[in-house]
Amino acid sequence: MKFKSQKVAYWFFASALLLLVLQILYGIIMGFARVGMEGLHEWIPFNTARATHTNLLVVWLLCGFMGSAYFIIPEESDNELYSPKLAYIQLISLLLVGVTAIVCYHLNIWEGRKFLEIPRPLDYLVVVNVLMFIYNIAMTMWRGKRNTTTSLVLFMGLFCAALLYLPGMIHFDNQTTDSFYRWWVVHLWVEGVWELIMGGILCFLLIKLTGVDREVVEKWLYIIVGLTFVSGILGTGHHYYYIGVPKYWLIVGGIFSALEPLAFLGMAMYALAMAKKGGRRHPNRIALTWTLGCAIMSFVGAGFLGMAHTLPQINMYTHGTLITAMHGHLAFWGAYAMIVLAMMAYALPLLTGRKLWDTGMANWAFWTSNIGMVGMTGALAVAGITQVNLERRMGMDFLVVQKEIEMHFIGMLLAAGLFTIGITCFIITFFRHGKPTDEAIGNDPAENPTYNVS
Amino acid sequence: MLSKSQARAFFFGGTGIFSVAFIALTIDSMRKLPNQTNSDNITEEVKRGKHIWEDNNCMGCHTLFGEGAYYAPELTKVVERRGKDWIRLFLKDPAAMFPGQRKMVQYHFKPEQIEDTIAFLDWCGKVDSNGFPAKPPLAQRLAATTPIAPAVLLPKPVPAIFTTAACIGCHSIAGEGGAAGALIGAPPLDGVSTRKTREEATAWIRDPQKIKPDTKMPDLVPAVVSEEQLTEIVNYLYSPATPQPVTPPKP
Repeated sequence: MKFKSQKVAYWFFASALLLLVLQILYGIIMGFARVGMEGLHEWIPFNTARATHTNLLVVWLLCGFMGSAYFIIPEESDNELYSPKLAYIQLISLLLVGVTAIVCYHLNIWEGRKFLEIPRPLDYLVVVNVLMFIYNIAMTMWRGKRNTTTSLVLFMGLFCAALLYLPGMIHFDNQTTDSFYRWWVVHLWVEGVWELIMGGILCFLLIKLTGVDREVVEKWLYIIVGLTFVSGILGTGHHYYYIGVPKYWLIVGGIFSALEPLAFLGMAMYALAMAKKGGRRHPNRIALTWTLGCAIMSFVGAGFLGMAHTLPQINMYTHGTLITAMHGHLAFWGAYAMIVLAMMAYALPLLTGRKLWDTGMANWAFWTSNIGMVGMTGALAVAGITQVNLERRMGMDFLVVQKEIEMHFIGMLLAAGLFTIGITCFIITFFRHGKPTDEAIGNDPAENPTYNVS
Repeated sequence: MLSKSQARAFFFGGTGIFSVAFIALTIDSMRKLPNQTNSDNITEEVKRGKHIWEDNNCMGCHTLFGEGAYYAPELTKVVERRGKDWIRLFLKDPAAMFPGQRKMVQYHFKPEQIEDTIAFLDWCGKVDSNGFPAKPPLAQRLAATTPIAPAVLLPKPVPAIFTTAACIGCHSIAGEGGAAGALIGAPPLDGVSTRKTREEATAWIRDPQKIKPDTKMPDLVPAVVSEEQLTEIVNYLYSPATPQPVTPPKP
């Protein structure tokens, strides 16, 4: 840690983990509902659990992104954060809005559009909140001593994410138009600007952990985020196949979304190449493990499994089945959850001054959570393939098929248990670091030439 | 090898070109969309129905145009598939229709809210969604290989009461319907006259739980079916059946 104000990142990370725990809890409620144990139906019906589960995911990831930005931007622009006080106000208000939204879901109050369920009045508060965040980051960069590509890409990602939230707030009477612009938010976030954020964080971690020259790492960052936008913008078309817009989206969406895995493949190859090339032996091995793990799992989850059902001929039968849930789980885990956890693993020892890198517990956290998530994805894949064949291809009744695939959700719950153990280990490691302290300033091994072996 | 400034040009250039292309296609789609979605038919009822759809987060379990949560059935063509009568009855008390099955929240909709919801779903079903949801490609082939159980079918047309009371949701009648029957073991009503006496059938419909306490059959008399309608039902079930030529049942 170089600057006092970077400490705010800790509180964003801690809040993100708290929300992750809640997300897992609601996921487990849904898992039990799917094996017929609907004891909580009166209080937490499936649609409440589902909206809570996905919204918590978004909020904890945003919380993690913001924490990462508050750590990275001061360091990159070589300057204290513009206003730590504003950052704390922003964190508290974000959590308040999030909690209010979740309470609303339990009272059947929402906007009821997939992933954008929060009630309209809260939307405006989110916008104000994000504007505070963007202002704080922008002012830090403005007053900084230098502007790097890494911070620029990260900022662009965060700024565009804020901008793209707006089309989701317009009301339409036509369900097709409604869906069309809803994807401007959802798709252009997760398959567009969020990848910029991910790329920016990845780039920062690679520079710090591998010691490869900044110019080289940043050049490749441009290429990869370029690939993301070249494929991802028109790739939005894969959500437009069957909602009531012209047929040319089948061709445009099919071709460009088939190119989307290239960006993730590029990301994985780039991360592995840099790690191999780097002469530095940074002592925080577990942060590098999470970083490389993220690059690989994002390719598997977002790239490869996305490709598995993105072509319109296949999507006709898999659209709206558990196949989407299968892809969704590993994609979000690999691309976004893991990059946030990588950032936490990197930043914590620097924030607190306690060198708890590479402990047994930290390694357990990595492997157990990953094996658990792969297991969950596998269970969803088997359930999804069975559902597609029985319901969509053979024409069996929906509920009959759901009964047939119930047992795969027992498998999913078991894998979820493993995943939960992994996350628990991560959280224990997190809190064993203790609180951030000013004494930790200036202890960054990346600045210490003795760690450079080459 | 590429320089950093070339890489930057690729990023900004690519993003610019494809953003413009995306916006151009969006403008074209917005021009064609009213025709493809029959937007003239979006009545006040449909608009209110959409609000009901959103205010209760129906997408949190169901899917529409394939978008939603995969916990409950896809509803794009539901009005075509089930008919308005069936949906009316179902929305009044969802759990009664599928006893012992995955639960839907009881929303206590007012009758006009049910009509609005149906109007919205009906409009959705008529949107040209490029062929989604597809007809199951293997269903025809399977039907051809499935032996036909009842050689004697009840006469057509099936009286309206069987649809309004939703019998046809679980039981197949005259070789049609009965989608939910396989789940809960509801038998086809064709040939019921050969299995039970008229008195037994009447007593059964009047109070199924009295005869078999754990049955999944809902208690319909007198809430949904009046005594006169009960007589109508039994009369139909015991009307002289016409032997049918053996044809594969519809999937």
